[in-house]
Amino acid sequence: MEFTLNDEQRDLQQTLRGFVERHASGKVVRDAAERGEGFSAPVWVRLTGEMELTGLAIDPAHGGAGASFVEVGIALEELGRSLVPVPFLVTVTAAHALGGPDVDAERAAPLLERITGGCVATVSLGENSVRSTGARAGVTLNGQLDHVLDGPHAAFVIAAVEDDDGPALYGIDLAADGVVVEAQATMDQTRRQATIRLSDAPATLLTPAGDAGAAAVERAREILSVALACEAVGAAARCLEITVKYLGERVQFGRPIGSFQALKHRCADLFVALESARSTAAYASWVVDGAPQELPTVAPLSQLVCGEALLQIASESIQLHGGIGFTWEHDAHYFFKRAKSTELLSGGNRYLRRLVGQRAGII
Amino acid sequence: MDLSVTAEDEAFRAEVREWLAQNLRGEFEQLRGAGGSGREHEAIELRTEWEQALGAAGWIGLGLPQSVGGRGATLMQQVIFAEEYARADAPGRVNHMGEYLLAPTLVAFGSEELQRRFLPGVLKGEEMWCQGYSEPGAGSDLAGVRTKAVLKDGSWSIEGQKVWTSLAFHADWCFVIARTEPDSERHRGLSYLLVPMDQEGVDIRPIVQITGSSEFSEVFFDDARTEARYVVGEPGDGWRVAMGTLGFERGVATLAQQVGFQRELDQVIADARESGTVEDPQIAERLVQAWIELRVMRYQALRTLGTNEPAAASVSKLLWANWHRRLGELGIDVRGAAATVLPAEPYELTREQAVFLYTRADTIYAGSNEIQRNILAERVLGLPRG
Ligand SMILES: Cc1cc2nc3c(=O)[nH]c(=O)nc-3n(C[C@H](O)[C@H](O)[C@H](O)COP(=O)(O)OP(=O)(O)OC[C@H]3O[C@@H](n4cnc5c(N)ncnc54)[C@H](O)[C@@H]3O)c2cc1C
Repeated sequence: MEFTLNDEQRDLQQTLRGFVERHASGKVVRDAAERGEGFSAPVWVRLTGEMELTGLAIDPAHGGAGASFVEVGIALEELGRSLVPVPFLVTVTAAHALGGPDVDAERAAPLLERITGGCVATVSLGENSVRSTGARAGVTLNGQLDHVLDGPHAAFVIAAVEDDDGPALYGIDLAADGVVVEAQATMDQTRRQATIRLSDAPATLLTPAGDAGAAAVERAREILSVALACEAVGAAARCLEITVKYLGERVQFGRPIGSFQALKHRCADLFVALESARSTAAYASWVVDGAPQELPTVAPLSQLVCGEALLQIASESIQLHGGIGFTWEHDAHYFFKRAKSTELLSGGNRYLRRLVGQRAGII
Repeated sequence: MDLSVTAEDEAFRAEVREWLAQNLRGEFEQLRGAGGSGREHEAIELRTEWEQALGAAGWIGLGLPQSVGGRGATLMQQVIFAEEYARADAPGRVNHMGEYLLAPTLVAFGSEELQRRFLPGVLKGEEMWCQGYSEPGAGSDLAGVRTKAVLKDGSWSIEGQKVWTSLAFHADWCFVIARTEPDSERHRGLSYLLVPMDQEGVDIRPIVQITGSSEFSEVFFDDARTEARYVVGEPGDGWRVAMGTLGFERGVATLAQQVGFQRELDQVIADARESGTVEDPQIAERLVQAWIELRVMRYQALRTLGTNEPAAASVSKLLWANWHRRLGELGIDVRGAAATVLPAEPYELTREQAVFLYTRADTIYAGSNEIQRNILAERVLGLPRG
């Protein structure tokens, strides 16, 4: 049993930490957020090009590095620290979903190769109005996908669609005829969404009918949950670091405000929440490949625990900063908006808690 | 990060399981579920015999080096033993102070002579220990200790009072923090002394606690004596030794404790089904949340296993103490009004009543919640002292 990161994993963490600090934080994030795109193309090109980051866990047969989700989790956490405005989370979720055991490997292959080639992929796994028509080979889709994360910059989307014979995953090229991608203005400026309208849009059916299709859809959702958990840990860690630093510097009543015990104890509680989240995300990202039978409970659990930690830390961060924390100019609001938006998009924390309770056989 | 278990570990697990099945029977059968927090008085004599059976089979001091008579087991094996022990519902151990506090302290700070004198008694389950730290004037602030010891006719003569000393009435020995340098202050001039309990100068007065039972006592020293050489570390260096004790790895104990917690939670869930309160959405949500938090505590313990950083110890203490206290509340909430009536006079408690009351202590002893938060804020996050 080995509980700590190995040397290679630590290297990956250090490399990314350095890259993000030098090239993908502060002004880069702010510019992307303010320009209304929530996307930094130069950062994306470097991450997918020289660093080959989106291919991390893709099979070498498709040009990837063949790592496990643990490595993906490390990368998500590091990018999460600065809410780096790149569609990494959705792209690796799509990649991991495409590499799943119930997905038609032959049909998934060209999509995986597009990802290792630097393409942006995204996922749309919630309920939607989309229906399929036509034979399996020449199938087309009609309907609408809402709240597609990073949809405005994506080349294709992996969507869950309720077919006559059960849930299925489809790959949809967003440049195809019959597809309209409409970018949304979002409260969280660091992660944009799109509404995608499909009218007789061509699509690739990726899963077999019946239970296997349902399993592939479920697994994709679980991977998305774990990915969000890992990212939340990075964001929460950095947000707490910024807050603690400020409390050590800001002087009122003749002393640093961080010397007041009322504030110290709140920070200690935030640290406990962060450590809990860190352990949970680490465990969950190991489970993805290491103990997939646990994924149905561990995935929503991890999203809940890590999402709540981020929301708690981000909201306390604003309070502990006072007036400056309420400004547009300070970064605190980015973390806060990301935390709440993510929770709402997942159906809410009560929904996640119920899901865990049902899957654990408690309720 | 690879959490899989090796074939050797599985073989070790089978060995432990087999030994427990073979030995936790006959007269020991009745010990299943006995003892533990809040119920330390239960079947204490028979549990002491059980401790000796464990010692004879080499199950005490698993993690201690072989050079001092321990088993030199890996962390994983220690976890496996503790988990199987809890799974078998084997009784609460009577000498955790000796095994988990004194023995590692002797290994880290004690002379060879002291190790030879005192470790076998712990490893064989023959000498029981209690912890003499707290005093009326020294609780959270341990440096306020006023119990004094001076060398007289070749032995230490001890004067003063300890309080809240768990299992004092059962212990053969006490490790005592005493002031050995007259007029010294705070954490200077203290020594870590090993004092026999069965002597005229030691007076033990049990204190009745919130549960109506007594597992801790006041201990008065009036010219109590111990040999001059029974001091761990140098005289005057007791603070460092006592702090060292606080820094030992606790992950193994934490993981084992969680097996018991899971059993308690399962019982509360069963109670909620039986009473129908599981239909109340708020109760249902609290049950699920408790289940989730227990999983999180496990992930936390696994990730920090083997580290002895203050962060890991304080996070773990805050998590489990708060969790257990909330479980105590949940346990009687699912019972409703029925939980207000005792099974028998004078003050016999049901399991859930005992947990509800006892867990108020969890957030006080071994460093209260507030002290743990101070440690995290100042030593881990580096916030300025006030
Ligand atoms: C069941 C039980 C078993 C015990 N067993 C033993 C034993 O075997 N041996 C032994 O030596 N001791 C034992 N203790 C004693 C235990 O270690 C002390 O109770 C504990 O250290 C707290 O000290 P106190 O009771 O004097 O409370 P105080 O220190 O007086 O604390 C009172 C309150 O003030 C808070 N407080 C104190 N200082 C600060 C601060 N700086 N900042 C913020 N808040 C603060 C505390 O958190 C607490 O809420 C036991 C206690 C219990 C309840």
